[in-house]
Amino acid sequence: MRESQLMFLQYLTGLLVVVFGSFHFLLISVLSPSPDKILYAYSGTSGAHVLVGGTLFYSWVRAVYSSLIWGSVLELLLTFLVFHVFNGFRVVLSEIFPGTRADKIITYALVIVALVVFIWGSRTVVLALNGGF
Amino acid sequence: MEGSDMQEIVLKGFGEVVKTITFRIRRYDPENKELPKYMEYKVPIQKGMTVLDSILYIKEHLDHSLAARYSCRMGICGSCGMIINGKEKLACQTQVLELGKNLIKVDPMGNYEITKDLVPDVSKLFRNHETVKPFIIREEEEPKSEFLQTPEQREEFAMFTDCILCGMCLSACPTSASDELYLGPQALAQGYRYIADNRDLGFNERLNALDSKHGVWRCHFSGACSEVCPKGVDPALAIQLLRQVLTTNVFVKFKQKGTTKAPERKSVSGVS
Ligand code: SF4
Ligand code: FES
Repeated sequence: MRESQLMFLQYLTGLLVVVFGSFHFLLISVLSPSPDKILYAYSGTSGAHVLVGGTLFYSWVRAVYSSLIWGSVLELLLTFLVFHVFNGFRVVLSEIFPGTRADKIITYALVIVALVVFIWGSRTVVLALNGGF
Repeated sequence: MEGSDMQEIVLKGFGEVVKTITFRIRRYDPENKELPKYMEYKVPIQKGMTVLDSILYIKEHLDHSLAARYSCRMGICGSCGMIINGKEKLACQTQVLELGKNLIKVDPMGNYEITKDLVPDVSKLFRNHETVKPFIIREEEEPKSEFLQTPEQREEFAMFTDCILCGMCLSACPTSASDELYLGPQALAQGYRYIADNRDLGFNERLNALDSKHGVWRCHFSGACSEVCPKGVDPALAIQLLRQVLTTNVFVKFKQKGTTKAPERKSVSGVS
């Protein structure tokens, strides 16, 4: 791939990370069913702090992440992030260690690490879709 | 000889001596294995003296071993670039009194190997310049007539033709400091200069160098190149314009405008 194509994708994914990252945060803060509220719930004689509503409400979090739409948003965010971060690393490293051989080693090593991170991240998203983490 | 034991020598062609200024000059000779060091020289400054005049004064009257490079002494050849009080300047264009300091620190340009003292080895600059093929590229072997160009067409790259290859932009460039294979602002600006020239058709031949891992995309846009250029060339602008061209080229193959040719001419002798 030409450097101009890679750099175009670099800027594009940067922008998309901002857009999809905002979705992600909006989801947590704005779309919650009710504000987070911690209450005392008494069960018999023992009192305990229990979260009774809001974004961090466990069943709500699970419901969100097992929805296909939000799962896809997370997967896309992961894709854009992985590309942006590892291509960024490649640029920085190839500047610090210039040379054709070094360029090759840096590119291959980063592609492998990026794939591992991507697969591991996708695994989490898929597990969440199926209701477990 | 240190400045204190010298006899004040007044140079012809300059005004009266205004004051004595100390020059702290970086000395380094890779042939004798010593580390670089600074040496101080006291120079009686007359009105109109430039930093280059002062260096020549030192060389002639205080220390013959000091090495510096110069030629035209009028800001045209681009040989006398050095770092004066922390900033790249042409020594022959820098008036000592205008610096307003009693101590002037002089270093050789950065990002180059040093040949000796204030003389950098600028072969990297010329190598990079060559890489972008700094000449008009056409298909025909021998054009039979001129290629026409309007004043507006010339304006599109005119600024970049003012480069005198002094190499100060490369010295100031932070990317060149970390990436020794980076083409640098001078070469990239010249790449743009030829691509923007309507007589040229060599975009594809330059593409591999300009759009490489150490080409136009490695610029961090610090702007130091444009800041120090003694000729008002704006290499940072050329790099941005090149990026525009290369980004467009990702989607639509960039086509150079080309030019119309003037009618074929017959030479006076009748032999064309
Ligand atoms: S662009 Fe300016 S600073 Fe760079 S080599 Fe040319 S004249 Fe010197
Ligand atoms: S000696 Fe030629 S530019 Fe300074």
